Amino acid sequence: MKNIFIPASASSPEVDFRFDERLLSLKGEAYPENAALFWGELISAVRSFTENDASRECITINVGLAYFNSSSTKMLFSLFDMLNEKAAAGTPVTLNWYHDADDDTIYEFGQELCEDFTELDFQNHALQTDGGHTSF
Amino acid sequence: MNTPVLTSTEHDSLHWRIFCQLAGTRDVIFYYEGYFSQAIIAAVSDAVKMRTEHIGTGGMTRRRLFSSFIEMTQNIIHYSVDAYTRDDGEHFNNEVRHGSICISMRDGRYHLHCANPVHHDVALQLREKLEHLRTLTIEDIKREYKRTLRAETPESSKGAGLGFLTMARDASEPLEFEFTPLGHGDNVLFFLKATI
Repeated sequence: MKNIFIPASASSPEVDFRFDERLLSLKGEAYPENAALFWGELISAVRSFTENDASRECITINVGLAYFNSSSTKMLFSLFDMLNEKAAAGTPVTLNWYHDADDDTIYEFGQELCEDFTELDFQNHALQTDGGHTSF
Repeated sequence: MNTPVLTSTEHDSLHWRIFCQLAGTRDVIFYYEGYFSQAIIAAVSDAVKMRTEHIGTGGMTRRRLFSSFIEMTQNIIHYSVDAYTRDDGEHFNNEVRHGSICISMRDGRYHLHCANPVHHDVALQLREKLEHLRTLTIEDIKREYKRTLRAETPESSKGAGLGFLTMARDASEPLEFEFTPLGHGDNVLFFLKATI
């Protein structure tokens, strides 16, 4: 499985999917024009990775998105749904969810994920604000 | 050959002064009318962020304002009937559509206005959705948001059917809207306002 690296643009996050290290990272802001296309390709890549992966070693996904628009929200939900299924099938999956300490919206979305996707090892990380930018 | 003489210069500058004065008294912090593309939205986003940071808006208000701003402008890109390129499938990633957006402040609150032409049939659907949203409390809105997040995406949506719910969730008052006739064809002008 080939790793994926897509640098951040003004309206799309940095994507760093290192399948060989079982480490997936997303950071930045996400309001791509065509969310279905942007996320759809990433979701297919992750699906093909999880389907062809026989290892039971932990998969880690780090998500530090300072903003995502409504259509990206739905696509992210699908992505975590898929990882949840992988976890249910016996491969532990850790989701590190980063948000600015004062960002209730992103914190609450993390809580939604935590509620719905009970197979994921959900770790919430509140970061101290440095002018609205999330970093990890 | 006589070159036409520009006699309207004084008039123009007077109109410009009036426009600036009006914008100043209404505390307009941003106004744009024209074609919207993804690149324009990203650039304008920068301007909005800088301006709100500069005037010291709190973090959560800034985020809510930015979120509603993105939802509104992306709605224009996806749904305005005044398209610069035809939506023939190939241009789906290069949509450019016409509309306007205005951010102003009054009594310490932000008002976001947007307008774009829509087809009459679409207007009916929008009216139904928005009238329903106006009857909901913030708790209802959050519940409906959660339900929609987990539901199948409606076919009429290019996003997730979550746009208005997101705006309603971030707003401090019910979303306001209006349709005005355009006088030609089957289109009407759709106005939407969110107060943050």
